[in-house]
Amino acid sequence: MMRRRMVLMVMTVASLGLFACQGYGFFDELLKPQPKKEQPQSAEGQQESAPGLLDSLGGMLGAKQKELDLLKKGLGVVQALQPIGEEEERALGRAVAVEAFARFGGEYHNEPLTRYVNLVGHTVAEVSDRPELNFHFAILNSEEQNAFAAPGGYIFVTIGLLKALTNEAELAGVLAHEIAHVTKRHMLQTIQRGALLESVSELTLSAMNKDPQLFSNLINEMTDILFTKGLDKTFEYEADAVGVDYAYRAGYNPQGLRDYLATLQRQQGRVQSRFFTTHPPISIRIQKMTEVLAQFSDGQELPFLSQRFKEAMRSV
Amino acid sequence: MANYLKRVFMLVACWVLVSGSVGMAGTMYAKKDHVRVTVAKSPTSRVVATLKRGEPVAVIKKSGRHYQVKLKNGRTGWVFKFKLTDKKPTARRGRGGLSALTGKSMVMAKEARAGGSIRGLKETTQRYVHDKHLDPVYQKAVEAMEQRVISDEELARFQREGGVGEFSGGGQ
Repeated sequence: MMRRRMVLMVMTVASLGLFACQGYGFFDELLKPQPKKEQPQSAEGQQESAPGLLDSLGGMLGAKQKELDLLKKGLGVVQALQPIGEEEERALGRAVAVEAFARFGGEYHNEPLTRYVNLVGHTVAEVSDRPELNFHFAILNSEEQNAFAAPGGYIFVTIGLLKALTNEAELAGVLAHEIAHVTKRHMLQTIQRGALLESVSELTLSAMNKDPQLFSNLINEMTDILFTKGLDKTFEYEADAVGVDYAYRAGYNPQGLRDYLATLQRQQGRVQSRFFTTHPPISIRIQKMTEVLAQFSDGQELPFLSQRFKEAMRSV
Repeated sequence: MANYLKRVFMLVACWVLVSGSVGMAGTMYAKKDHVRVTVAKSPTSRVVATLKRGEPVAVIKKSGRHYQVKLKNGRTGWVFKFKLTDKKPTARRGRGGLSALTGKSMVMAKEARAGGSIRGLKETTQRYVHDKHLDPVYQKAVEAMEQRVISDEELARFQREGGVGEFSGGGQ
């Protein structure tokens, strides 16, 4: 009898101990790798000649440099399937952003309004799935109703689109859709599947600087997709659904994007917008979004902020 | 004896099931740096702690758009739930893998750490603008975009006035 009680007691104490440890992420802390010491900065040229693990092992095993190069090449092919790094994403995004300004009338100069768009954009971005990324928002001086997202967090909305909106929840919805394209890396996934990167072993910033033609070709492909052909339909539907969620998380009424699309649908044939050609049919998007919105029943209590939006647009 | 063994087995089974599920659902991580933990649900109440990206907390209560959490030091407070994630955030530049074998990851990591990476980005854009004969004014527009800083205070004021972000759903 005494033995039984002792066994039960030991197990209870052990259970409670494990509960407490898990609750505080104790094991995560124990298993966390020690932070690495910062390496001193050296010149780019020196970095490129830094030997890899294969070089060291190969040297020890007496392998010839030619054999090692072949092995590295093989590994490089497999490596091309890895995601593009954040620095490289920003480099590509910056050039696409330059093209967006160049093709859509340049920057719309209105600092208070641009600041307002940034405040709405940051409110959404900070609850997205990549809140650590530095998102930047700008207004393009074009009367066409458009919004674009370049990799790395460069988000654009035209003054034409802003004029068509009626409240802040609609603006948050449009920006959330664009932010979703960035967080889900839709453009990067598209170019990685394309022919241009088929034979590229590693897309580093150094590689892009060394091969300006490859860089230029990649930007051509991305701008062609963004401004002419459009992304894959499945990516657009995903950005709609994820965007609705981001707007809800940010505290906006999540039907903002659907409301704007309904306005655009009514204007079809009378206004210019690449949404008609680069995106799936608006009626299908609205239908799919209505299904998504059914999951956000408590979102109906969240605000549209029409008055604040009108005040921000007063100077236009 | 058989009865005793049965009871011990049941207890072990419950222990494995319960401890496992609580551990997974209970621990969450800060999605980014500077996530504020406040003494009450209101984001304007006193700040108990500021979490770094990936820092774990134990969720002890869920209430609307906020979670009551327990910190590693035992203190409790409230966090806007959308600033937490149940998956521990991974390293931002975790592209080691195969490139570590070829020595290339070293190039990337050093580029990223060095302030030179910003310089490198600007040079890449500048070369592109030059090669494409684009007006440098568009490159300057991108730089102006990047230089526009929104402080945490300005964003919090904007969100409080509109009842959005941390101030949404009655969190005033």
